[in-house]
Amino acid sequence: MSDEAPEPPARVRVTAPRAGGPAASARPEARAPGEAGAPTSDIQGVYVRSLIRSQLRIGLVFAAGFAIATALFALALAFTPALDETFVAGVPVSWLLLAVGVYPLALTVAALYVRAASRNESRYRSLSQQDRA
Amino acid sequence: MNPVIGYAAIAAVALASALIGFYGLRVSRTTSDFYVASRTVRPWWNASAIGGEYLSAASFLGIAGLILLTGSDALWFPIGYTAGYLMLLLFVAAPLRRSGAYTIPDFTEARLESRWARRVTSLLVIVIGWFYIVPQLQGAALTVRITTGLPAWVGSVAVAVIVAVVVAAGGMRSITFVQAFQFWLKLTALAVPAFALLFVVGGGAPAELPPAQAFPPSAGPGDHDVYRTVSLMVALLLGTLGLPHVLVRFYTNPDGVAARRTTLIVLGLLSVFYLFPTVFGLLGRAFAPDLASTGEADALVLLLPGRLVPGVWGDLLTALVIGGAFAAFLSTSSGLVVSLAGVISQDLLGGSVRGFRIAAVASAAVPLVVALAMEPAGLAGSVGLVFAFTASTLCPVLLLGIWWRGLTARGAIAGMVTGAMLSGAAILGGAALSAAAPGIRPLLEQPAAWTVPIAVLVTVLVSRGDRRRVPRGVDAFLTRLHVPEREAG
Repeated sequence: MSDEAPEPPARVRVTAPRAGGPAASARPEARAPGEAGAPTSDIQGVYVRSLIRSQLRIGLVFAAGFAIATALFALALAFTPALDETFVAGVPVSWLLLAVGVYPLALTVAALYVRAASRNESRYRSLSQQDRA
Repeated sequence: MNPVIGYAAIAAVALASALIGFYGLRVSRTTSDFYVASRTVRPWWNASAIGGEYLSAASFLGIAGLILLTGSDALWFPIGYTAGYLMLLLFVAAPLRRSGAYTIPDFTEARLESRWARRVTSLLVIVIGWFYIVPQLQGAALTVRITTGLPAWVGSVAVAVIVAVVVAAGGMRSITFVQAFQFWLKLTALAVPAFALLFVVGGGAPAELPPAQAFPPSAGPGDHDVYRTVSLMVALLLGTLGLPHVLVRFYTNPDGVAARRTTLIVLGLLSVFYLFPTVFGLLGRAFAPDLASTGEADALVLLLPGRLVPGVWGDLLTALVIGGAFAAFLSTSSGLVVSLAGVISQDLLGGSVRGFRIAAVASAAVPLVVALAMEPAGLAGSVGLVFAFTASTLCPVLLLGIWWRGLTARGAIAGMVTGAMLSGAAILGGAALSAAAPGIRPLLEQPAAWTVPIAVLVTVLVSRGDRRRVPRGVDAFLTRLHVPEREAG
């Protein structure tokens, strides 16, 4: 997964905003108009707001999915007493399932989310570039 | 236990951390290098470093100890510690990286255009950091006492001094290397003994308790206290979002997409890591149940290899877990000291390298005093309470700041103060209050399930009433958070 670029990006000097100095809030406007990130027109603003909404929506959907699946899993373990009495390597199956079961779920949700979020961003990119062209 | 093993392992880890730290010093010279490693850290390095920083005494010693002590309820701790990164990925990782702020106070100031919001956030970050370092120092005290026979305070002092020196000398660039190294050290230090123990046990070592007694259904997943579990999960899932030493790592990603990839790798690394404390905890229930009754459950990981594996091999495995435990104390404490020193030096000392060094020493000294003065509680439980406090204070402001344009400085401050007072009162005064009214004891011992919603509600309501003070730059700022960086080329 490591993306070794042929040559490392040039090092850029970034400085911390000093307390009492110019507020960091001045920086968002520092982007040149027309560059991605500075809303240049109403329609760009609409695209940005819809990007934020759709990113929030997938975030909430994936979080809810994870929470519901985990809760169902825990309930299933709690209401299947047979799992407490079945031993694998000296440990009840219910304990083993709780010990390892949720991690694959979290990883799956995370991987799916990364794909969905990137798709939202590329949709935004193509929309806003189309509009500028 | 042979004290020579303890001395050798602790000295080796301290020396290795210091060497790597000073190696990093040669390439770390400017202020920006000191703060966030110039943002040139690659996802795998960064993810290892996050793992290294995150896996604290609570993870390394506390989880196994708690499984031994309370049974399968403790299995929810590693689940929450891991799934916290899922929440971080879903709601915080990419936008926070794009915000361009160095620390959480920087973020709140930039988002809310308010010096007061910054001050309150800084104060909370410092309090959270200090109380998170305390259990690390207590873990060090326990480890030193059990393994070398020296008085407990020696361990706390040793960790505090090493961390202060390394951070003050090297800054964060070196710390990134140290942390990444520490993750793999910690993983090895638990995985190798865990496999060895499983091998020995599989070969027919006699258990102290038969399975049915070691894993009674009354301590199993069927006997849940639903409120406690839910509240613990709220604390751990949302608390991770606000941990200062975790968030500062996200600024070292090159862009938002890399921040997401880093988080995904962290989830994978943690999922693998937590298998091993679980193995120790489950083995402990069958093979060392006496530790639960002597009140030294947190030492289970340190003692189990020596009990089950005789002779030189047992000594070597013990040395390995001691080294790993020390790596855990050092890495989490140094990560916290780095982020605290960043906040303190920027807010009080002008943000210079010299100020950073002074702040680093102060950030290690205060928790040391607290750790020496306080009676140690269970490691996993104490860290869980810090998560509850973080979830009730910094998490609502971060989430609403990233996703809701209506947040105002007054709303944020009101929410943070409410969350801090409620969860702080529950944590500090819980013991006294629940003696008077035993019925509300779970509510006080696991407060997150009610303090977080109240903090969010107060934040939203006050912001609503303060609608005219929505910061002028909010649209530009949110755009910056959510719009993807330009593709290279």
